[in-house]
Amino acid sequence: MQIRVPLSWLREYVDIDVSVDELARLLHMSGTEVDHVERRAWERIWVGRVTKLERHPNADRLTLATVEYGAGRANTVVTGATNLSVGAIVPYAEVGAELIDGGTGDRFRLEPKKVRGIASAGMVCSEKELGLGEDHEGILVLESTLPVGAALADAVGDPILYLELQPNRPDCLGIVGIAREVAALLGHQLRDPATDPLPRAAPRGLDVRIEDAQACPRFAAALLRDVRIAPSPQWLQGRLVAAGMRPIDNVVDITNYVMLELGQPLHAYDHHQVRGGTLVARAARRGETLRTLDQIDRVLPEGALVIADIERSLGLAGILGGEDSEIRSDTTTLALECASFEPRGIGRTATRLGLHGSSGSAAARRFAWELSPDLVPMALARAVRLLREHAGAQVVGVVDRYPSPRSPINVRLRFSDITRVLGMEVMPDETLDVLQRLHFRVAVDGDTLVATPPAIRTDVAIPEDVIEEVARIVGYERLPTRIPDGPLPLHERHPLEEFRERARDVLVGQGLQETVSYALIDPAWLTLLTAEGAPLAPEPLRVTNPTTVTQSVARPTLRASLLDTARRNVRHRESVAIFEIAPVYFPRARDLPEERWIIGVLLAGRAEPLTWLTQPRDFDLYDLQGILEALHRATRFGGRGESIAGGQPGLHPGRSWGTMDKGRVAVVAGQLDPRVAERWDVPEMTFVAEIDLALLYEASQTAQAAVPPRFPPALRDLAVVVDERVAYGDVAREIQATAKELLESLVLLDLYRGPQVGAGKKSFAVRLILRASAGTLSDADVDRVLGRVEGRLGSRLGATLRG
Amino acid sequence: MSGPAELGRLADEAVAEAAAAPDEAALEAIRVRYLGRKEGALTAAAKRITTLPPAERPAYGAALNAAKQRVEAVLTARAKALRDAALLRELTPQGEDLTLPPRPIRLGRLHPISQTIREITRIFTMLGFEAVEGPEVEWDYYNFEALNIPRDHPARDKFNTLWLSNPRGDDPDRPMLLRTHTSPMQIRIMEQRPPPVRVLVPGRCYRYEATDATHESVFFQYEGLAIDEKITLADLKGVLYSFARQLFGGERKVRFRPDYFPFTEPSAEIAFDCFVCEGRDPRCKTCGGSGWIEAAGCGMVHPEALRRVGYDPARYQGFAWGGGVERLAMLLTGTPDIRLFHQNDLRYLESL
Repeated sequence: MQIRVPLSWLREYVDIDVSVDELARLLHMSGTEVDHVERRAWERIWVGRVTKLERHPNADRLTLATVEYGAGRANTVVTGATNLSVGAIVPYAEVGAELIDGGTGDRFRLEPKKVRGIASAGMVCSEKELGLGEDHEGILVLESTLPVGAALADAVGDPILYLELQPNRPDCLGIVGIAREVAALLGHQLRDPATDPLPRAAPRGLDVRIEDAQACPRFAAALLRDVRIAPSPQWLQGRLVAAGMRPIDNVVDITNYVMLELGQPLHAYDHHQVRGGTLVARAARRGETLRTLDQIDRVLPEGALVIADIERSLGLAGILGGEDSEIRSDTTTLALECASFEPRGIGRTATRLGLHGSSGSAAARRFAWELSPDLVPMALARAVRLLREHAGAQVVGVVDRYPSPRSPINVRLRFSDITRVLGMEVMPDETLDVLQRLHFRVAVDGDTLVATPPAIRTDVAIPEDVIEEVARIVGYERLPTRIPDGPLPLHERHPLEEFRERARDVLVGQGLQETVSYALIDPAWLTLLTAEGAPLAPEPLRVTNPTTVTQSVARPTLRASLLDTARRNVRHRESVAIFEIAPVYFPRARDLPEERWIIGVLLAGRAEPLTWLTQPRDFDLYDLQGILEALHRATRFGGRGESIAGGQPGLHPGRSWGTMDKGRVAVVAGQLDPRVAERWDVPEMTFVAEIDLALLYEASQTAQAAVPPRFPPALRDLAVVVDERVAYGDVAREIQATAKELLESLVLLDLYRGPQVGAGKKSFAVRLILRASAGTLSDADVDRVLGRVEGRLGSRLGATLRG
Repeated sequence: MSGPAELGRLADEAVAEAAAAPDEAALEAIRVRYLGRKEGALTAAAKRITTLPPAERPAYGAALNAAKQRVEAVLTARAKALRDAALLRELTPQGEDLTLPPRPIRLGRLHPISQTIREITRIFTMLGFEAVEGPEVEWDYYNFEALNIPRDHPARDKFNTLWLSNPRGDDPDRPMLLRTHTSPMQIRIMEQRPPPVRVLVPGRCYRYEATDATHESVFFQYEGLAIDEKITLADLKGVLYSFARQLFGGERKVRFRPDYFPFTEPSAEIAFDCFVCEGRDPRCKTCGGSGWIEAAGCGMVHPEALRRVGYDPARYQGFAWGGGVERLAMLLTGTPDIRLFHQNDLRYLESL
């Protein structure tokens, strides 16, 4: 959570004798994240004094103001403001200064101009024009003691630290908490804010009651009378604005001020609206309604903690007050609530009502962290004092219910534990000094240290917490850099992951670009993968709170992502050759989904460009098969799986194939169904393959060294003439089955159709490379084999050999 | 016309002619003229040995051999010289244009995220960490509860979660989500193995997040976990500094500062100086003007997390970290906008 700390406000509680940059660095390096430091640039803006005021000769409503801003420096400006008087100290901006437009809020650079015929040399500025607040009614009149001619930034500019706090440090939500950190870092004393002692007597006319002590461990309230509602003093308003809050009236401003100062939210009720004079912390009843301060009628979530009187709820505890009991301009008696709430319940209710987060309730954001119940009396005493000083309030009495007070936590550890955890020694003296600077109570018993955190710290409970305190103040810079030693943990192998990386290398070696796409996709994509719109994959897991519908399901297929990537790239290039290896998510009943790793490949467009050496060529089916072949060969595929008959869903019915292994799809590949291609705006000739990584891995074989053969091979070419319906695969299979281990390889040299073989026939010219491991094959051996091949091709496939 | 002197003169003549022979044909003619079987001058001289008195024959024979050897050696040397010269002429450029463009190639590349994960894995493997992976879809328990982030804990605000609904039925007691970090694998690993443990977990993570130049809703992390009896915060700092050094070669400044995570105590953050503005631009979009790019959150594993998986926190301790892969990839490649990684514009991918 971000808070703003104006440096001047911080200085009220601690002396700061380092530069603001050094202060920011010290805070940041000790664990209080400084997001940035906002500085007033305010270049060419000066502290000026009005020396002369004249009526504009051409306009009744305009004034010519002469402003002196240093020895010998004076200019006359045209202004419409009516709150100027001679002698007033005002901000004066020279031509060239950067200001904020009072109307639009945009930044602009001041240029020379004439107003109704009179030159205006610069400007006197409003609060809004300087970025100090919202007031644009008149010119900002400054303290009369400011030195005329000084740069405005030096005179009143106040750097603001923007701090990003972590929920373990609710004590830092208040500026005093930050001052406590600064005091520890700089070794200075902390000055607590001034408070009034709280009367011990409970007031007549106000009581508090806790119905749920778990949800509300402490509940205090003060009764104050003679309150005069009025605007709060300028300095207080200025601080609220600097810290990012809007001033309202003195009572509301003071509760906000104390919240910003100490981190503890308070809530003020008009006492006349508290029926029965009793504030009750209780669970909301079923169907209970409340009109909250933001003028919304809400049905309260059942069980949410509310603050009520004896009849009805007055507000959502720790989150938002009700409209009924809010402070009005005629309010004279206040019931001021200051309580401690169980943080998870506050967070839950705020989330349910949409009042969570930076746009929600400032109080809820703080109460959702574990504020110390010890802040309650401190904040109340501080508020009582400020209300007395700035709203004339007289405290009648205070009631404070705290049924089970938190007992201080004494953390015991050995000094040697610090070295054990940090790997660096911090001497006991330094350890004690650091902890005391952080207001810990410390006791030493030999090697044992007993550290008691200050009551406002709720985050320190175990030795590691104390060790972190020591380390962060000493500084992590001081930690040495070491390398873990000790026994060697024996590593497991991860064959599937290793195999996956090999597959990546193979595909990269084939000239494919790897892609990584969103694992969350648009559910509409899943209806675009087949011509009929039928799904390809099981119903996906749905994101219940997606950021966008286009990322609202966990993809059950890679194909949509591949097509989307292709579609976006074919707009500006002629060739797309990509692969992605990623899991797809298959839901399972009563379990996490199966995350099944898939290799996806897509080819579209030009396989070869037009160059002086090459003719343009588009990707075809055999490019895709070549890539699968490379994958198989490189991973020593053992040739498992049964082919699935017919075309594959979403692919071209005549140009796709697939295999099954162990009851699931191992490979699906082929040309995309042209109707699907059209839908995705990809070329008609787009080719995809999806391979189940785990099945490919299981079908791969371990490397087995092949010793180079000792005997020469015999090469024979055959022209096998078959009917059109006979596939090359059948021919190859029969040759293989006949020649067996003598066949070293088989190459298809040519595929011929034409007059030489006649209609309805085709001829495969194949080269057989035959080799025996035991000796050189004689011509007679080879002829015998070829004779058998011819016989088998003839009998099984009706093939003839062409001479 | 006989005698050793005459043989010497004959040899001198042959040597002089061979040295002047313009080509191999001329050289062959010289060889025939002096050493040819039929009319070679030295062959003829050899035949004359029978006509000499026996006493002169040894000297004549010796001179004859010497002459033949000289001539043969010169002929061989000259022949080689002529062949070399001919070869050289053949190899001498004759209008071959070596500046013509090459045959087109298609070069495949790994995605920068894969490249970066491999580099991360390589370095941490050298430091003794075993790379393991885990599920992207997780139970609330592993992503949060087991890491000391119970329901409604304010630390959950840091992990804006994408929740999942299972078409095969939801279990209200076991909410399913897309892991917001790789840290659930800390718990899974410790549940599976006894200490000592040293693992690296790269993997995809998800957040409910508006995307901009430095934020993505889907991204990758690399988690590290080391548990043993004597592992300290200084070891964590050393491992991460060593990693940074090996990754960036000392070109980046490294910063180690306290931070907060519910599942580590003490906690820390490691940051590298901004590669875009090097700390000089207060409006830098990459580092937000701070000059530093937060690279990983880390710390000593919280004793409560150890206890929950059955490790004895009195005996075992160790560290864990979790960092963003894309941040490193941006630093390593100068990628200015994190969204480029998932856009898969091939013009971008082919530049890396």
